[in-house]
Amino acid sequence: MSEISATMDFRRRDARDKLRGRTRYTMDRYLPGMLHAAVLRANVASGRIVRLDTSRAARMRGVRAIVTAADAPGKIGIGIADHPLFARDVIRYDGEPLAAIAADTLAQAQAALATIDVEIAPLPAVLTMAESLAPAAPLVHPDWRDYEVLFEGGARSGNVAWEATVVRGDVDAAFARSDVEIVESSFRVGRQNHVAFEPRAVVASYEDGRFHIETSTQVPWTIRNATARILGVPPSQVRVTVPPVGGAFGLKFDLAIEPFAALLARASGQPVRLVNSREEEMLTCLFRENAEIRIRSAVTRDGEIVGREAVVLMDCGAYGGEQIFLTTMTAHTLGGNYRLGSTRLVSRAVYTNTAPNGAFRCCNGVYCTFALERHTDEIAARIGMDPLAFRRRNVLGDGDLGATGQVFEGNVLAPMLDRMDTLREAAAPSRTLADGRLFGRATTVGTWFVFVGPSAATVNMNADGTVTLVTSGVEIGSGSMMQSLPQIVAGTLGLKPDDVVVRAADTDAAGYDVGVGGGRTTVSLGAASLSAAQEVRTKLLKVASEMIEAAPEDLVMRQGRIEIAGAPGSGRTIADVATRAQAQLGPVSGTGAFTGAGVPAMPGCVAGHFIDAIDIPVFAVHDCDVAVDPETGHVEVLNYRVVQDVGRALNPRAIHGQIQGGVVQGLGYALHEEVTIDTHGRVRQNGFETYRLPLALDVVPVEISLYEGAPSVGPLGTKGAGEVPILNVGATIACAVANATGKRVQELPLTPPRVLELLLDRKGELSLSHIAEAWVDNLVRPHGTAAQNRK
Amino acid sequence: MALSLTVNGDRRASAADPVTPLVDILREEFHLTGTKPVCREGFCGACMVLVDDRPTPSCLMPAALAEGSDIRTVEGLGTGDALTAIQVALETCDAVQCGMCFPGMVVTLTHLLATSPEATRDDIRAALSGNICRCTGYERIVDATLSALAVK
Repeated sequence: MSEISATMDFRRRDARDKLRGRTRYTMDRYLPGMLHAAVLRANVASGRIVRLDTSRAARMRGVRAIVTAADAPGKIGIGIADHPLFARDVIRYDGEPLAAIAADTLAQAQAALATIDVEIAPLPAVLTMAESLAPAAPLVHPDWRDYEVLFEGGARSGNVAWEATVVRGDVDAAFARSDVEIVESSFRVGRQNHVAFEPRAVVASYEDGRFHIETSTQVPWTIRNATARILGVPPSQVRVTVPPVGGAFGLKFDLAIEPFAALLARASGQPVRLVNSREEEMLTCLFRENAEIRIRSAVTRDGEIVGREAVVLMDCGAYGGEQIFLTTMTAHTLGGNYRLGSTRLVSRAVYTNTAPNGAFRCCNGVYCTFALERHTDEIAARIGMDPLAFRRRNVLGDGDLGATGQVFEGNVLAPMLDRMDTLREAAAPSRTLADGRLFGRATTVGTWFVFVGPSAATVNMNADGTVTLVTSGVEIGSGSMMQSLPQIVAGTLGLKPDDVVVRAADTDAAGYDVGVGGGRTTVSLGAASLSAAQEVRTKLLKVASEMIEAAPEDLVMRQGRIEIAGAPGSGRTIADVATRAQAQLGPVSGTGAFTGAGVPAMPGCVAGHFIDAIDIPVFAVHDCDVAVDPETGHVEVLNYRVVQDVGRALNPRAIHGQIQGGVVQGLGYALHEEVTIDTHGRVRQNGFETYRLPLALDVVPVEISLYEGAPSVGPLGTKGAGEVPILNVGATIACAVANATGKRVQELPLTPPRVLELLLDRKGELSLSHIAEAWVDNLVRPHGTAAQNRK
Repeated sequence: MALSLTVNGDRRASAADPVTPLVDILREEFHLTGTKPVCREGFCGACMVLVDDRPTPSCLMPAALAEGSDIRTVEGLGTGDALTAIQVALETCDAVQCGMCFPGMVVTLTHLLATSPEATRDDIRAALSGNICRCTGYERIVDATLSALAVK
């Protein structure tokens, strides 16, 4: 199709300005007449608003506008519209917004906030999922039955915001077999904060009856549509543009503070900037959710998994948000990796009176893979099989059924395990450490996916021989918009990637897009861009064939020229052809669109799922060596190795950078990034002093092997490569620490105190009494029965 | 009383309160937004500037204490459009991702290059312990620094 390969270690064009401090992120933007905003937040976890009087604040110096719940009538959500912009009458978490103020300076806005007269009558709060699921627990949303349902199918009841189930085959029969061992494991993980270095930030203005929102987001179209819904205006009245984004990791995959600035801009008639403080980010970021998991398997003595059941509890915090959707993912993560006989899984998103959780790189997958892989090691130990041999025996291969009955294509994990053997053997470290520390090693597998879905692209051919690529894609740091997309377009048109101008996201300029996340940029935006570029190519070749007097099929596009195949230097430059085309026919452009075709699941297997089967599976094999200090409980990672299924690597060097960074984020999650909630419902870690991020001295260089050639519907055979590197890090470290210590690792992060507790046997078995003994007793309603949401 | 600050060689005046963190004056008054206030606790290093050639977190420095000193921000490190040695190395290694930490990284590493020409891999990692990066996992930054040292 293309005469020059799209594969190269192409450098990113935004690096020079980022290195010189010239890049203007949203938080750096400054408009004439711009006001500064601040948000008043509740300081109790649960309560009734008795009084909220802003009259004194309105008279404060510099104050230009104040907005409250009365200004924002709508509610948003994924699946369920349960989330207002401001607390209305009821406060559901510590940090929930009450009012927003715009003033000439930030100090004035903050001073005015302090004069708002608020009286809150405390109400009982549920701060943990155990409390929330207890009989007669106070309901976080007493009116849950009245909420608008945006997506049908999930079971709901009281504090269970959403429940998704998978049932395939007869699990009871499998567990009753006389030739199986029943292995049961329980796990618990805490929250993780993204700590994107640029906090949520927005500059909004209101011009000609429309909102213009410049914001630090991954999802311009979600911001457009959700802001409109919150404000009660048509979505066409909201325009969203996105400057370079200073880190996201899923944090910016949802609406955040944009409507505050939009409302204040309309109310004041001036542009308004709102930037979250670091403390606001620490306390109210849309964390990776805390979760509790019980998993049971029936396994024959020769290692066949004949039955598996699991209960996964996911804390959504005070509002459903992303967790509603993420209940879907358990089927593909915890239900992934291995061939299963019969299967039943339930994922429950549970309301608590805590800050809402959200999306974070490999959402759900990180802890489900931790649970699955630790459980897998416990199974292997029980039946006396080598854990690697057990994995080799059971990993998904060509024609195997996934948990929801989808048929997987291609043998991918097995050759990836072989590849890892080679990496590991080349390293060959010793098994005993001279310094008395305990050595451990583990190899884990993981299953992730590409979140396909709609994307649009336009390619405009310029008469100077360059093209402009117009999409709603956002550069969040991963480089997809700077590297893979221009590479794909340039490869199709025989141009240099530097000749592809990439338009920053603007919902007024480009068509709908799901957003940058879920490994979908290169796949979905890439496919749309490829198709748009192909249309341009066809048009140019037609004009060129007249100019060169050769049939279009005999022409090639390479090195900025359209030439007769096999005759370098023949033909014309692309600029000449584009100029001629423009004069004769008008400017040349092409449009492209993409969405996932959808892969069938087995009928009747799933209920409450947003995605029944995964269009593009992505596999990962990780391996590490650790040293555990028996005196301090400190875990040192000695080596880390990754074999990652990338489909096709368009920019291998960029992918290596994503893997190193993703693994290190995973090491933080595995070892020391810990979020805890105090007895009043407030997150304890309010800054970098208390939230321990990985530092340069903590990390190791990751040994990487990119596995190419697995089937993918992505353009040129690509899969998303930037999201998945974090997937099995928690699992791998946990399995290695269990291997080193001989102890049952059931929780993350493995901080030194937690490891010491394990070593000293001070840690009792994890007990999750709010998960019912019988799987079926955990369900709001039996799998497959009709929805009763509307009753 | 107005503050008088010397930033990137220019004398600048500010009417801000003398205890205002230097980072806020640099950004909000002088529009030198390369300096990033990320944690405001002195841990992350994204707001690092050179004060009399010493890397200093500008979030912790009251502006009045910087009077009489030579303040150099990331914008003042290169000449014209040219990149400095460490910037060239970081670009060449494809080290940059979101980019928010890099102005501070560049400031710290500029100092390292000037003062520790023999720095080893471990020295560089130790020198970066006050500069946090959330995207890259650091290795490329260390590699780039080693290559910049080798060129010198």
